[in-house]
Amino acid sequence: MLRVTLKGLLARKLRLALTALAIIVGVTFVTGTLVLGDTLNRTFNSLVGTVYQHVSFEIRGDAEFTEKGGGGVDSTANRKPVPQHLIAAVRALPGVQFAYGSVTGYAQIVTPDGRAVGSSQGSLGFSFDPNRQLSALHLATGRAPSNADQVVIDKATANKYHFKIGDKVRMLLAGPTRTFTITGIVTFGSDDNLVGATLAAFDLPTAQRLFGSVGHYDTINVLAKPGADNVALENQIRKVLPGGVQVLSGQQIANQLSSSISQALGFLTALLLIFAFISLLVGGFTIFNTFSITVGQRTRELALLRVVGASRRQVFRSVLTEAALTGLIASIIGLGLGVLAAVGLRALLSAFGVTLPSAPLVFEARTPIVAIVVGVGVTLLSAIMPARKAVRIPPVAALTAHIEDRTTMSWERRSGGLGLTVLGALLIISGVARAKIGAVGVGALLLFIAAALLLPLLAGPLSGAIGRPLAAMLGMPGRLGRENSLRNPHRTAQTAAALMIGIALVSTITVLGSSLSESTTDSIDNAIKADYLITSSNVSNNVAQIAGAIHGVGTITKIYHGQFETDGSVQTLVAATPRQLSQTVSLNTTAGQEVQALVAGELLIDTTTARSDHLAVGSVINATFANTGPTTLRVGGIFKPNTLVGSYVVGDAYFRAHFDNPLPDTLLIRSAPGAGDLEMTLKQALTAYPNLNIRTRKQFEQNEQSQVNALLGLVYVLLALAVMVALIGIVNTLMLSVFERTREIGLLRAVGMTRPQVKRMIRAESVVIAVFGAVVGVVIGTALGAALAGSLRNNGVTDVSIPFARLILFLIIAALLGLGAATWPARRAARLDVLQAIATD
Amino acid sequence: MTPSDGESVAAAARAHELTKVYGSGDASVRALDGVSVEFPRGQFAAVMGPSGSGKSTLMHCMAGLDVATSGQAFIGDQDLGALNDAALTQLRRDRIGFIFQAFNLIPTLTAKENITLSADLAGTTIDAAWFELLVGQLKIRDRLSHRPSELSGGQQQRIACARALVGRPDLIFADEPTGNLDSNSSAEVLTFLRTAATEHQQSIVMVTHDPRAAAYADRVVFLADGRVVDELLEPTADGVLEEMRKLGG
Repeated sequence: MLRVTLKGLLARKLRLALTALAIIVGVTFVTGTLVLGDTLNRTFNSLVGTVYQHVSFEIRGDAEFTEKGGGGVDSTANRKPVPQHLIAAVRALPGVQFAYGSVTGYAQIVTPDGRAVGSSQGSLGFSFDPNRQLSALHLATGRAPSNADQVVIDKATANKYHFKIGDKVRMLLAGPTRTFTITGIVTFGSDDNLVGATLAAFDLPTAQRLFGSVGHYDTINVLAKPGADNVALENQIRKVLPGGVQVLSGQQIANQLSSSISQALGFLTALLLIFAFISLLVGGFTIFNTFSITVGQRTRELALLRVVGASRRQVFRSVLTEAALTGLIASIIGLGLGVLAAVGLRALLSAFGVTLPSAPLVFEARTPIVAIVVGVGVTLLSAIMPARKAVRIPPVAALTAHIEDRTTMSWERRSGGLGLTVLGALLIISGVARAKIGAVGVGALLLFIAAALLLPLLAGPLSGAIGRPLAAMLGMPGRLGRENSLRNPHRTAQTAAALMIGIALVSTITVLGSSLSESTTDSIDNAIKADYLITSSNVSNNVAQIAGAIHGVGTITKIYHGQFETDGSVQTLVAATPRQLSQTVSLNTTAGQEVQALVAGELLIDTTTARSDHLAVGSVINATFANTGPTTLRVGGIFKPNTLVGSYVVGDAYFRAHFDNPLPDTLLIRSAPGAGDLEMTLKQALTAYPNLNIRTRKQFEQNEQSQVNALLGLVYVLLALAVMVALIGIVNTLMLSVFERTREIGLLRAVGMTRPQVKRMIRAESVVIAVFGAVVGVVIGTALGAALAGSLRNNGVTDVSIPFARLILFLIIAALLGLGAATWPARRAARLDVLQAIATD
Repeated sequence: MTPSDGESVAAAARAHELTKVYGSGDASVRALDGVSVEFPRGQFAAVMGPSGSGKSTLMHCMAGLDVATSGQAFIGDQDLGALNDAALTQLRRDRIGFIFQAFNLIPTLTAKENITLSADLAGTTIDAAWFELLVGQLKIRDRLSHRPSELSGGQQQRIACARALVGRPDLIFADEPTGNLDSNSSAEVLTFLRTAATEHQQSIVMVTHDPRAAAYADRVVFLADGRVVDELLEPTADGVLEEMRKLGG
């Protein structure tokens, strides 16, 4: 029986190739994601290894809480500082060979032509530790910085911008911008920079002054003497440390960092795997459809097998073996292509602003196992139903003429589909009503399954309607194409289902994105009255002074962002300068007096938080800050939800008292009455700070929208793969249909259908199928997008906006893709040998 | 106006030294071996011969469905060898009617749409009065809106007859038109073809192996081993049967 299966497979190479393609794409995506994830993991971990290779112990301040979401790299900003005097006690311990206090902070390099290098998050400043064993910064050339005017910078930046030893370089800092002389070029371990971030290192006292750490360190790194008893030494160190300061071995720190990196990367990998899963799901539909059609077409062959003595089980196994072999071959090919895909994904992510280090690809043993299990699994699952259909073919079918596959819809399927529709709709409605996105998500999933089940019911009427204008436009070939798409609603529906899923997801994301974008604009308009916004992750303290001195500038409000913990959850805290706050921010206060409350060091919360946490003016909440520990905060006012300021607001004085040297990230500027356009004036006055984004409110809104659009773009690209798989499904179905209708096409050619007309007929059918899938997809996707947007109304999505033009564009694109998918089948149909087609047998 | 009047009229179709070889070398088969034959206008001709005699190949080559290895085939004055695929397709559409043994109709089209298919493909209109006449004669008026799957075999073949005739082609090629029909339905179809030739001067070439069907024709051309071996005018079923027996069919 295996030989029969194998011979059958080889005889149908083309179909095998098309079916396999659907799986190859999915497996490629899965493999690419896994390889990329492993590669990044290895890269970051080897960096961690570089940093902590020789560090015996690290002494650091306690953290009151860990940042939300793993946060990637552990931030010292959320730890208590280590008093400087401790280092003497540590150095005095007998087992300690060397101890060095270090500080880190923000230092951004400015190019000679006045542009800021990189992003402010990726501009790391260090104190330069000359000990090669303790520090990851190694001097490549030159000398270590030894006074307040000297700096060493990373090799990558030096090479890129042609900085040489002895050159002057301007640096953006938390305080005033300063110029330094380059005394050396450093590498990070053996790399030219730290995964894309720029490095600048100063001598310790200078770094402490620049980073606001005079009198303390962020960490003290300790190198033990060779042969020292590390356990005993750790205990000795611990004894000299006061409360609030901890000691960990280098290994422990490295492990902690590694696990938080894995967590952060795990999120990225999971996100990509979701899209890989979607591609596989769509691929499953394609396989299901292909096997259904071929089992139908091979009715006679399978029945003949039964006649000559094959058991039902053998027929079942034969179909499944074919599926397993197809899946296996496809998975192996996908595995190979996946390695290329990893490179592609990295390029794709970096094109959308997610910069990842480039390093040799890592191929873990688990990758091929997962790829093959998933690829073969999906293929087998998709083939089970068709295999069961094959089993039900009676032997007598071998003797009767070919009967066209006329599956009717089972009662179970109909009622199941309707039941799921109702259930899904109810879940979505209740989810929207209660603003619970989880319920909407589950409802959406049910609705997708229901749509796939019920699609054959829609195929008749909808394809008919879609085909009518085509038939009118293209004459008889168009009419025949339309009729062909109506001929087997099940087949049309199954083929279209794959595209439906793809287009529905695209539409959902589009509606969601459009709503988000619209809400952002609206909320910015509602939230702030400022005419200009200056933003950067590090706005130097001097900027406000410089801007304040400009004639025509009325009010400046500094906005800070930080995190604190309340009732066990980490929340974002926003701080603003209270003076003339109403000039720049519109806080619709429903209770309390906002300015008074902020000045008094009290907390403002939004109505959503007040409702969910049962808080009112006068309530006291517990708050824990990373630097200062637990405290209490009195609620001094409640305001209507405002996306710009979030849920928790305090005054800037209070904020500065609880955070270590915070820098504002936004300055809101309101022009004085009668002042003209200040944009150019502000930009000229602040040329020394090229890291700042100086925008009018309109520009700011546009920028926020373009960020949403950039994200949309990335999702579109990832979903495009699923759409591609769906198109492969259409090609496959059309090829099989052409094959099945050889006779009919031959007759048409005999009675005078020209080759171009044959092509037109196949293309019309393809367009009808594609547009049918797209129409249902757009309708479902739009409804889901609107539902999701509606359920997010407490999370800043205040408007539900449906971009009709773009959705219609999707339908047009689907029609064009349908045309494209028909190319090959149409050519094949047109080339059919008329004689062979009509020859009587 | 029939050829029997003795007037000189161009043939509806003719073949000149038509040869068709399938395959090459030792495996080659001469399906047609220098066949020269003429089918005058208005004549109902039958082509007969044992299996493998080349009768279907002759029809295919003369109808522009297949290309001969050598020799010439004409529809009217048109040499088919001079035409490319597009021109051949147009010729079939506009000047030739086809009736096949089975699979004559497009399952997605109604009976009426099947009848007007060639005209629809050409983007032309049909002669409505002629259509009405045919539909009446073939007794298919009440079947026009049905799909082929809702029609009996006999009805399907009558629809195919209507399609073949509706465009008033120069020639109708019928390939075993009654091969799948019972005797009553066969008689209906053959009587109709006879009438079409007699009353409307429709030229018809019918390939068949059924002597009773051949008896409806004006003339029977016998083929064996790819050559024309004999022909009978005003044939009877018995005469045809006798001839076939001689040929060993």
